[in-house]
Amino acid sequence: MPNETTPLRAGAVNVPYGHVIGNEKWKGSQITQGIQGKVNLILEDGLGIVDFHLSNRSCILYISEADMVAGNGFKRRLVQFRNVCNLQGIIIVEKTQISNQYFPAVQKFVVLELGMTLVPVANQGEAAQFIIQLVHEQMKDGASNPFLNKRSPTLLEASLFETVQQIPGVGKTKALLLLKQFGNIYQLCNASIPELEEVVGRTLAQQIHTFFTCAI
Amino acid sequence: RTPAALCVLADSREVASGPEVISSLKAVHGIKVQVVSLGVCDYVVSNRLAVERKTQAELLNGAQQSKAVQRVQRLKSTFERICVIVEKERPKAGEAWRAFHRTKRYDSILSAFIRAGIRVLFSSCQEETAELLAGLASVERRKKAALVAPTEVEGPQREALRFYLSIPCVSYPLALAFCHCFGSVKEMVNSSPGEMAARTQVMQQKAEEVYRYIYYHFEATMLP
Repeated sequence: MPNETTPLRAGAVNVPYGHVIGNEKWKGSQITQGIQGKVNLILEDGLGIVDFHLSNRSCILYISEADMVAGNGFKRRLVQFRNVCNLQGIIIVEKTQISNQYFPAVQKFVVLELGMTLVPVANQGEAAQFIIQLVHEQMKDGASNPFLNKRSPTLLEASLFETVQQIPGVGKTKALLLLKQFGNIYQLCNASIPELEEVVGRTLAQQIHTFFTCAI
Repeated sequence: RTPAALCVLADSREVASGPEVISSLKAVHGIKVQVVSLGVCDYVVSNRLAVERKTQAELLNGAQQSKAVQRVQRLKSTFERICVIVEKERPKAGEAWRAFHRTKRYDSILSAFIRAGIRVLFSSCQEETAELLAGLASVERRKKAALVAPTEVEGPQREALRFYLSIPCVSYPLALAFCHCFGSVKEMVNSSPGEMAARTQVMQQKAEEVYRYIYYHFEATMLP
């Protein structure tokens, strides 16, 4: 490959919204055929070691069945990628009956050692489907991702009620009385035995005090 | 000068659903497995990393997928890092081998995981899952986040542990750290966020969240 020395081209990093920029070498392949029509695909020359640029933040490196069987050459490419840029690298790997045996080692290297993302596919058709989904995901705003949206601040009353009931000897009724009297965990924890006795009986007051202050 | 054995916490339900994962962790990888009631996730491999074990079918099938999503969503509030291991299920006895049909939902949930920074690993069987867990645990140890022994608590500490665990944003390892790093519950409650973070090595942000909980004023009328 002529571009082996230029691992990345900076210009390709500006991917238009909803587009994928692919390496020229994928022209006419099953992947490009699968993507075309669903997502706008632009093929460019000189992307170096990157196969597809998804957005300003992430790109895809494709490891074929043949790459895996051939040996460790692809590892150099991944390390090179990681050393030169700070984009998120998503590695798509062809996991077939033939390359299956190499998969665990590749996964260990990519995910555990390099800290990159790895997704197995059975063939180029599946890879195309997956790339389409990745593009759709990046076009959505963060709120539609169930793992990204911040949960609205919930009322903590129910949790507090639960926490106070973890004190030995305190059930629902006593928990409510204690919380009403002391207002928060801090006050409850620092209450003296006589203060506690105003709410609960002597024995339990002693027990609560011991629970909080006893050296464990 | 051999380093202490790695330790992993396993949810008690995993004893039934992933027996080979647990036995392989112990026998093959020499990892100490402590079975506790984690509730929120299947495994905890370090102070900050929780692991969910999901079968391929759970992610392929829409109905089961929403349950999986809810669980991971809940995990987000307690753990800094989350990893999902997608495991191929064993064919049931007498059931014909079924080909894996990749669905659009499957791809879309994988992309959602990836975008949210949730790590995804693929496993073909329970033994391989154990190997991945062992790998994750040793990476976390290298990053100085390994679980600190002892992972068990005794006597009155059990009650204190339950008390700490009932705080919404507190993970199991953090509750353990509270037990081991503070002399009493009162001492913990009276510490500043900075002190809490320094003693337990939790992030300042998390310590502040715990601190806010301790000072949160209870309104009986707000109780559902």
